Amino acid sequence: MIHRGGLAVFADRALPKSKSTRLAWIAALALSVALVLLPWVVKLDGKPHADWEQFLGRFHPLAVHLPIGLLVLLPILEIVGKFRPALREAAGFVLGLSFASCLFALMLGVLLAYGSGEAGAGVTLHESGGIALTIGVLLCLLARPWWSSGNVAYAYPVLLTCTLLALAWTAHQGGSLTHGSNYLTQYMPAPLKRITAFRTTPPATSFYAKRINPIFDANCVGCHGAGKIQGGLRLDSYESLMKGGQDGPAIVAGKPDKSLLLVRVTLPPSHKQFMPAEGKPPLKAEQIAWIKAWIEQGASPTAATLAGISIREDRPELPLQPVGDYSALGPEIRAMAQGQGAKLIPVSAKPEDGLVLYTVDASASFGDAQLAQLQKFAPYIVEAELARTAVTDASFDTLKQFTHLRALHLEETQVTGAGLAKLAPLSQLTYLNLSGTKVTSAAIAPLSSMKNLRHLYLYNTPAQLAPGSVPANPFAATAP
Amino acid sequence: MKQHPLCTDTEREPDVMHLAVPAGLKQEWAALQTRRHFLGRTGKVLGWAAMASLLGDRALRGDTAQQGAKGRSDAQAAGLLKLPYFAPKAKRAIYLFMSGGPPQIDLLDYKPNLAALYDKDIPDSVRGGQQLTGMTAGQARFPIAPSHWAFKRYGETGTWVSDLLPNTAKIVDDLTIIKSTNTEAINHEPAIMLMNTGNMNPGKPCMGAWLAYGLGSMNDNLPTFMVLQSKLNMKEDNQPVSSRLWSSGFLSSEYAGVGLRSQGDPVLFLSDPSGVSHEVRRKMLDAVNAINRQTSEELGDPETHARIAQYEMAYRMQTSVPELTDLSKEPKSTWDLYGPDAKEPGTFAYNCLMARRMAERGVRFTQVYKRGWDVHGNVTGTLPILCQETDRACYALVTDLKQRGLLDDTLVIWAGEFGRTVYSQGGLTPENYGRDHHPRCFTTWMTGGGVRTGITFGETDEYSYNVIKDPVTVRDFNATILHCLGIDHNKLTYKFQGLDQKLTGPTPASVVQGLLA
Repeated sequence: MIHRGGLAVFADRALPKSKSTRLAWIAALALSVALVLLPWVVKLDGKPHADWEQFLGRFHPLAVHLPIGLLVLLPILEIVGKFRPALREAAGFVLGLSFASCLFALMLGVLLAYGSGEAGAGVTLHESGGIALTIGVLLCLLARPWWSSGNVAYAYPVLLTCTLLALAWTAHQGGSLTHGSNYLTQYMPAPLKRITAFRTTPPATSFYAKRINPIFDANCVGCHGAGKIQGGLRLDSYESLMKGGQDGPAIVAGKPDKSLLLVRVTLPPSHKQFMPAEGKPPLKAEQIAWIKAWIEQGASPTAATLAGISIREDRPELPLQPVGDYSALGPEIRAMAQGQGAKLIPVSAKPEDGLVLYTVDASASFGDAQLAQLQKFAPYIVEAELARTAVTDASFDTLKQFTHLRALHLEETQVTGAGLAKLAPLSQLTYLNLSGTKVTSAAIAPLSSMKNLRHLYLYNTPAQLAPGSVPANPFAATAP
Repeated sequence: MKQHPLCTDTEREPDVMHLAVPAGLKQEWAALQTRRHFLGRTGKVLGWAAMASLLGDRALRGDTAQQGAKGRSDAQAAGLLKLPYFAPKAKRAIYLFMSGGPPQIDLLDYKPNLAALYDKDIPDSVRGGQQLTGMTAGQARFPIAPSHWAFKRYGETGTWVSDLLPNTAKIVDDLTIIKSTNTEAINHEPAIMLMNTGNMNPGKPCMGAWLAYGLGSMNDNLPTFMVLQSKLNMKEDNQPVSSRLWSSGFLSSEYAGVGLRSQGDPVLFLSDPSGVSHEVRRKMLDAVNAINRQTSEELGDPETHARIAQYEMAYRMQTSVPELTDLSKEPKSTWDLYGPDAKEPGTFAYNCLMARRMAERGVRFTQVYKRGWDVHGNVTGTLPILCQETDRACYALVTDLKQRGLLDDTLVIWAGEFGRTVYSQGGLTPENYGRDHHPRCFTTWMTGGGVRTGITFGETDEYSYNVIKDPVTVRDFNATILHCLGIDHNKLTYKFQGLDQKLTGPTPASVVQGLLA
């Protein structure tokens, strides 16, 4: 036969001819089958087994990095080997080594999961990934000789690519097991999060969703979640939380003493059954108090508030916005301090933290005109202490140029509040003190549009609603 | 002009800052100068070395030849220091010091189980062989004395507070109560030195001096660090406090605390003597300063500069102190809040009001001392008086700072030098008991800029004897205070006697993260 079909060509080139390669193929096939059957042979039943298994198993996180490193090196060696043949020779060796280390890491991993009684979807996925990866490397090992001899051009590169993808996926699964599934996305910049649509759950309203679940999310679900189900307990949803684990119910509504979860987190940290285990940081006293109160009051999934527990809304403080470098203005800052007594003092040793304007030495003689002279320094001033100075409402024309202003003190000045609206562009202003001035509620009304203004003080002013009461302002959030 | 033998530069003043040598050598030179004088006379501080180290690599370095007192305070005023290391939450602090050691068991450390143990001996396992003071070591028994007063829960936090503190109870949600503060000293002097200076032996700078040195002044017309002593109602149990507690130690004496007297002139000899006009006073000061500068040039003693600065400060205080102490413009709401005691100069309530006024005027660190907490006997007779004097004032100060918007960047600290024992010193009766010094645990509180409020930190055992959770040593306590003010306690150092001295001393200290906002 002169003309043969493509398949026949492949079979002719690829099928093992010598006895030894045939044997290698049979051995590889047998090993692959054994690996595929591994999850059924060593069943992860979620119960801890022998200590020595755990001891060895705990070297798994160390051992996995060897095949990772070697496999990532492999394509580099192959590609660069095009120009430096010696590297390609090394690639064969590296591939063999990758296979050995893969197999080793896989065995340790199985020991770890079986010995420590870890189970769950995450563990299973990671295990399957590891098996697929090991088989992939094995196939690469067998396919490479054809490729290097030039017989089959595509099988090895395709296999290697698949193997590397399997590697990335498996490694990510493993990482999620140790660090939690939101480890990578937790600190993702908000815009990126929106694009990738991570965590677009509707805003939580119940006490459980807002306060209790996040505690478990941050401290517990690494071992009691979808990934691992230690002790048969999952804390990632209300239903699974109330279902409890092997040792009994985690939460008994109304009975904190009977709720194993609360019992375990309040044991002395040295206790064997203390949770969170394995030296992870204990829950904070405040969090324990919330959990306790939540259990006492019925462990409801929907109740929005709890009697006796009031949590200040933690609107995050606006982070410091860096100002430019004012070092060049040093001599002028000095001259000004000597001239008019007003001082510009750095917030900290870092110039980007900005300057604080102090006028206490010159309070009586410091008025709108003096303030206007500070325009040069305006973008660098983050806090202006103008209490008890002679400034008036005219000062707002200057102050609106203090673009980085975070805190403004106008206590006991002649300010009446007319023109306070001019401060609206100061997007970073979080603190405004108008105590002891003549401002009225009408005058401060425009301030309500300033979203970042969290601390507004109106003590001893006509705007203060009830004299003597502390949160006596329309914004009610004067607490530090 | 007489030339100092060490100074070879005849063109310039023998001023270390202007010699063309590296900054390190200047510092060394100043240190040698000081030691020479220390040995020869009574010189004690290294002001110039301080300036050399502080000026060393400033971005905004001045170039004036005249380095007089005015120049120095300007350097500070223009914020040329390398501090704070990071943007601080608190710009100033008010430290209410309860000298003598308040009994934590009767105030804030509620131990309900003790009632059942009345007159039972404290188990040896709890005492753990601890050495006691000479006052109770000889006692045959150590009978448990439960608190005479009932406790109730207050605030959203449900914090237990003794009936002795009905007003403090109103602000518990704003406080950070630390039940696990503990000290190494068992007697007053070493314990109070340790709290204030980080060392049981006198001679180290106290916290206020470190802050003044490190952070500089916000108000040139008032001292950066002021101390107020409160009047005494009781005759006994008043352990003395002395200026050692507000000393600047080896730092320039410029940084020492300035005390206001409780009676008469707040500062002695501040007013112009009769027949001396303000201009004459100024002329006299100019002349004295000129002589002092000459002395400084001849001898190079940094303390001379401190003296010039102090004369100038005193001159400026002639107008700033009367303004500070003039309470006539305080609104009625102030008096409603602080109570009638506050009208009487020298009371603790008056001092708390004064501390608020100082905070408004940019005083960096104000320490108010209240003595009398050393209740070895007659607890039920003494404690109500002390609490009556302090409880409302503490409440008023915190509330006042809060309503005026000052609590955002003012740290308020309430602490004594140690706690008191659960067992009775002397006879125990259902009506009365005494309590000895107890260093192993005592309760303190903080509030304001930088600390996490509405929490109770640390726990003691059921006898309020040992700390069982989150201990806070004096070093950690002080490191945390410095942190709130933007200072890394490991970085604010001063080379003296071959050691980089710092407030927290050579033993490692750590900022208590659980206390921070």
